Amino acid sequence: MKHVIALAGLALLTACADTATVKGASDPQAGFAFVADGANRSTGAKAAWAQTAADVAANEARAKALVAGKTIGPDTAVQVALMNNRGLQAAYADLGLSATDLWETALGPRPSLELSLSGIGEASLARSLEATVTGAILDLATLKPRTRIAEMHFRQAQLEALAETLALAAETRMAWIDAVAAFEASSLIARAQGTAEAASELAAELGRTGAMNRADQAREHVFTAELAAERAEARLEAQLAKEKLTRLMGLYGASTDFYVPDRLPSLPGRRPGRSNAEALALQHRVDLAIGKLELEAIAQEYRLTSQTRRIEGAEVTAGAEVERSDDNETEVARVLQASLEIPLYDTTKLTSRRGALEYSRAAHELAQHAVNARSEARSAHAEVTGTYNIARHWRDEVLPLRREIDREALKSYNGMLTSTFELIEDARDGLEAQLSTAEARADYWRAEANLKTVIWGPPAGGDE
Amino acid sequence: MNRRQLLAGGAGAVLASAAAAETRFRDLPEAASTDSPYTQVPPRPGSGPDYNPVVTLNGWSLPWRMNGNVKEFHLVAEPVERIMADGMMARLWGYNGQSTGPTIEAVEGERVRIYVTNRLPEHTSVHWHGLILPSGMDGVGGLSHPAIPPGKTFVYEFDLIKSGTFMYHPHADEMVQMAMGMMGLFIVHPRDPAFMPVDRDFAFLLASYDIDPGTYIPRVAEMTDFNLWTWNSRIFPDIDPLVVNKGDRVRVRCGNLTMTNHPIHMHGYDFEVTCTDGGWVPKSARWPEVSIDIPVGAMRAYEFDAIHEGDWAIHCHKSHHTMNAMGHDLPTFIGTDKTRLTQMIRRQQPGYMPMGTAGMADMGEMSMELPDNTVPMMTGWGPFGPLEMGGMFSVVKVREGIAPDDYSDPGWYQNPPGTQAWEWTGELPEEVRQSSAATVITPKSHLNHDH
Ligand SMILES: [Cu+2]
Repeated sequence: MKHVIALAGLALLTACADTATVKGASDPQAGFAFVADGANRSTGAKAAWAQTAADVAANEARAKALVAGKTIGPDTAVQVALMNNRGLQAAYADLGLSATDLWETALGPRPSLELSLSGIGEASLARSLEATVTGAILDLATLKPRTRIAEMHFRQAQLEALAETLALAAETRMAWIDAVAAFEASSLIARAQGTAEAASELAAELGRTGAMNRADQAREHVFTAELAAERAEARLEAQLAKEKLTRLMGLYGASTDFYVPDRLPSLPGRRPGRSNAEALALQHRVDLAIGKLELEAIAQEYRLTSQTRRIEGAEVTAGAEVERSDDNETEVARVLQASLEIPLYDTTKLTSRRGALEYSRAAHELAQHAVNARSEARSAHAEVTGTYNIARHWRDEVLPLRREIDREALKSYNGMLTSTFELIEDARDGLEAQLSTAEARADYWRAEANLKTVIWGPPAGGDE
Repeated sequence: MNRRQLLAGGAGAVLASAAAAETRFRDLPEAASTDSPYTQVPPRPGSGPDYNPVVTLNGWSLPWRMNGNVKEFHLVAEPVERIMADGMMARLWGYNGQSTGPTIEAVEGERVRIYVTNRLPEHTSVHWHGLILPSGMDGVGGLSHPAIPPGKTFVYEFDLIKSGTFMYHPHADEMVQMAMGMMGLFIVHPRDPAFMPVDRDFAFLLASYDIDPGTYIPRVAEMTDFNLWTWNSRIFPDIDPLVVNKGDRVRVRCGNLTMTNHPIHMHGYDFEVTCTDGGWVPKSARWPEVSIDIPVGAMRAYEFDAIHEGDWAIHCHKSHHTMNAMGHDLPTFIGTDKTRLTQMIRRQQPGYMPMGTAGMADMGEMSMELPDNTVPMMTGWGPFGPLEMGGMFSVVKVREGIAPDDYSDPGWYQNPPGTQAWEWTGELPEEVRQSSAATVITPKSHLNHDH
């Protein structure tokens, strides 16, 4: 009879399993849809989880098709990184492991029958079977909360996988910008070197005719020689920047045969407008979502149930809402809409002092993260508008003046008022201004990429 | 000159501003003005003693009126715009709408009364260079009399006790005011029309300016490195020619208000200096010349009989004074191969033209875009090609059958057949070259051979 009871108990245990959770967690791609969806919404690229050698080979083939022999844009670079970076695949494996944990927990207690079956027909068999079933039933009593906690961890793992994905996308985009900027700088320095070579050539010719002494010739030559070193440095820098991009895209072998453009895109025609970056960051940032889950997990663990009120994140630390005062009032109003709510619990009913403290620590940490996120969003937005204005100033104010100088320099040269050397020098100064203009444009694109990162995920190298 | 011209000259602001001005100047002679940069041949005097007026190159003579037996003039010191050449305008200070100012002409023995109105932003004075007059009329601000404050009119009055070639210029903040173009000629004709008469009497003042290419106002602080060398504040190719009828007796009067001397050289003639700012030179003291060095702050007049027909250059013999603005820090590019260089520079400056590799004559031939308000350093086009000149250069044009009052340009001279250099197309004899630097004494036998 005892056998029957024990076996019935086992059947009951199996029936108690959370079938929906088990079904979800046992899916080979468990939880990845959330990651892929988040990655797609923020980067526009499709993340892929390669779990078999065939998957890896397929991804590599697709990546190769996207880049081989081609000049790639930032979106392609990000797309290739998301399907081909093996570090990211390792992070996805962590998500898989977390799904397995959830699956196991949701399945409920699994009595170890192998051990028991070895002693069939003996009295000890019934006892050990009984002990197993009793232990399993005890486990069953705590199954629901444990499943919920495992679920929470699984959701955290999803967010972490998404964070890894976004971080990689951001790093790849930045590496693409750096590489293109380095090639652009290198080609401008090469042009400046062209003017130096012209001066050098002229000096050598004047030395030949007897119109320039050795010291003055050497002065022209040494400038050319120094500039050649600078050019070599710029080339190396471009090469290394491209190599970093290659690394992030997970490429090797024949697939590294790709190109980046010689020049970053022009500035957008319209000045970046007023931003709701702050609200978007509070809404989307993965690190904040992870913090909120953490808070929930602690509440679950310590059975904190009587929530008294919800408090806006910034208030916890600052005590009062201090908003960025902008010259435009509507912007202030818009920013005011941004909030992150942290539930507070009535600590008097707490059963555990430890739980209250842990919850309070996590809540403060999250509040500080929210404050940081808001500030980071404001900084990133300020950087986008600031770098845009600077780049436009170089393009619209400095460059036209340089062009005018070039035009006037030619006229002065035409009138034999100045010499060829001065003409060359002005041309060289003009190229330097072009270089500064290109650098300012690169800073704008970096700021633009950074703003995205600040809104969707923690900024690169930021705390998590 | 009437009031309308005064206004057109851009100088009438003060005069025209108020009816009160009318009353204020009611008792003064009209302040005539002109803005024409061309030579204006003055009419024969209609009143007062007769004289043969001078022709001020690219200038004019100041109208006057007789008040009793005093000849009255009205000089207005004021900012002016002077067209130095086609395509180049200078913002200067001058008199009665022009720099150089109008020529004052009178006759020996006359009494002149000259009203001087100051429309400059600072005080001024007028010194009558070379004239014998009372000390208080000498125009040295602070020494002879108080300087004329802005907006005020002073009167100078004196007798012209000698004839000759003189000038007027400020003697108050003189460095600035002369660098800004304030100067004019003062010609006193002999009372006896039979004394050293000439048919044509030209006059001009030498002045130098430093106007950077692309700018409009002289750099008054420059003391030595001027870049524009002018006759009556005009530069070649826009200095009018000296037009002469064959057989005329011609006098050229020239005063130097620059900071260096100018050897003025005229082609085609021997001439003699007949007058300085000290007076007429006795015949026994003259010697023949083809150039006269005109010292700083001095005047010279020379005369010749225009018997040789043709187009004869007249210019300062300092060759950079027959150039317009140019750079002085240019390397010598002669013999420099710029083929490769040209390709290299054109990548940055597509309009680049290599110049100077065969000399600088290409400057005279090419017309390339220059900075605003700038005339090429060597320019002008003659009947046979570019003249490659600038600054202090003009042409004396001696022709048969030019009417006495005609000073208009007769065009280029047609050389009679056989009187113009021609190209030798025959065979060239073998060249004899001496490559040794040592003195070579011509062999005596060679000389003997000639006997
Ligand atoms: Cu000279």
